[in-house]
Amino acid sequence: MLRPVYAVMEREVLRLLRQPARLAAAFVRPLVWLLVIGAGFGALYEPAGRAGYQQFLVPGVVGMTLLFGAMLAALGTVHDKEFGVMRMLVMAPLPHAWIVIAKLLAATLVAVLQALVLLAALTALGYLAAGTAPLLLATALAATAFACSAIGMLIAAFSRTLENFAAVMNFVIFPVFFLSGSLYPVQALPAGLRAAAMLNPYTYGVDLLRHALPAGAAGLGPDFSIGRDLAVLLLFTGAATALACWRFSREAAHAPLVRRLARKGS
Amino acid sequence: MRDRSSEPIVAARGLTKRYGDALAVDALDLDVPAGAFFGLLGPNGSGKTTAIHMLSTLIRPSAGEARIAGHDVRREPVAVRRAIGVVFQEPALDRSLSVEENLRLAGRLYGLSGAEIRRRAEELLALFGLGARRRQSAATLSGGLRRALDIARGVIHRPRVLFLDEPTIGLDVPNRRAIWRYIAGLRAETGVTVVLTTHYLEEADDCDLVAFIRGGRVVASGAPRVLVDNLAPRILEVEGADLEPLAQRLAPKFGPALNDGQRLSFCFHGSAADFGALQSELAGAVEALRLRRPNLNDVFLWVNAAQPSEAPAHAAVH
Repeated sequence: MLRPVYAVMEREVLRLLRQPARLAAAFVRPLVWLLVIGAGFGALYEPAGRAGYQQFLVPGVVGMTLLFGAMLAALGTVHDKEFGVMRMLVMAPLPHAWIVIAKLLAATLVAVLQALVLLAALTALGYLAAGTAPLLLATALAATAFACSAIGMLIAAFSRTLENFAAVMNFVIFPVFFLSGSLYPVQALPAGLRAAAMLNPYTYGVDLLRHALPAGAAGLGPDFSIGRDLAVLLLFTGAATALACWRFSREAAHAPLVRRLARKGS
Repeated sequence: MRDRSSEPIVAARGLTKRYGDALAVDALDLDVPAGAFFGLLGPNGSGKTTAIHMLSTLIRPSAGEARIAGHDVRREPVAVRRAIGVVFQEPALDRSLSVEENLRLAGRLYGLSGAEIRRRAEELLALFGLGARRRQSAATLSGGLRRALDIARGVIHRPRVLFLDEPTIGLDVPNRRAIWRYIAGLRAETGVTVVLTTHYLEEADDCDLVAFIRGGRVVASGAPRVLVDNLAPRILEVEGADLEPLAQRLAPKFGPALNDGQRLSFCFHGSAADFGALQSELAGAVEALRLRRPNLNDVFLWVNAAQPSEAPAHAAVH
């Protein structure tokens, strides 16, 4: 069971390394948010001041890299579904649920790798405060990446096709990102948005990152306890993975693939 | 390399796939002896691909059962998949990975060790003429080489049964020949049982056994040579303008004819003298008169003619 999982993870890393644009986006996008938007909104953001808001954004942009990295890798499954690689995977001598596990691990791995690149850049730029807790940071990175991958696998398992990259960005990734505590403290949100953010598992990932990467300024700390963050992330990841595994074990999940393979003959 | 046991390595009984009201495969019975080169033949839409998909556990049968290498496709899909290799109509390759990386990915998915994969990949790259392109990405391969790589991918784990669904579809003649050469090489080297579908019937001449399938059912089966010999010693073809009266005129002497609109075909059991007499008789009345050896196409056309259906027989075969 381990070699196939390893194979899928290796493939995902190879693909990441072969797409320099994707790797670059992994730290350029968050740095743009941090340096441009962070500075702009920081000027408006009274209580913390410019530097304080930027520091507040650090966990948010680290989370952003995990979210984008994991979701894009996991949602790549939808594309794989109709094209070459999924055919290899469904014919491999493993229960189909293992495809979900393997892809989940692969998406998590590439997301964490991208976040590490970003963290190195942030360290070089002096944005990583002295209060960083390494063990907690590692835990937060892994737990958040797993949860993001699980959201992606859940969507991948149930959607037939994802029309294009723009649809994924607009209808999945951006809502998850904006309806979280990435850009603003959840407590400060109006009731409706706060409720939405609290239903979003990604919110707890960002919050956990906030515990690991403290901002220092008053009023901009984490919204929830470490225990609650971890519990929500683990429960969500477990439930979403179980559901995605179940779905992948059903023939219906592979209908697009079968249809395509039966197109010419039958 | 025949199997020690006499049990067929692929056995299907009443295998059926229903999509709503449509029967894609209708109570299919198949027996493929171990080591055989087996052809599942029929026109597009006859159910060949659906049958292969059920046998390879990609889809579940609606009814009936099938065993591959002793494993039930419904109850032991993982064991079945371990015993088989499948090459679909479209490649199961990662276009962003190189030739070698694709083989490594496939090998690992079957749980092979790195050393096993390297050894096996070397053999297959040599056998399929891909050695010089090992580092090239799969996306840059020509159609023929990509198919070759896909077949290599399908046999990296030395399966006992290899399913090939239209292995030469979309390829030009030289590439089609190359693919058949690779498959022959593979059979000689490993003794793998090959089950292939094709609608190019002339490609099935080398099969040990074929089954003609139409409307999801087997309509004829046997060794190609036997099927062809049993049909007739010769096929008589008559080309001309007004075929129907000609068919009626010749029927008492040569039996029923197949009329494809351009020519009449008869199963000819007569002698050379009979043909000579016919030539003098029809001189001037027809455009061409021809006597030739029958082939699998003829077998298929006559089987279809004997079992009329909604589909016109001549439209069915390439």
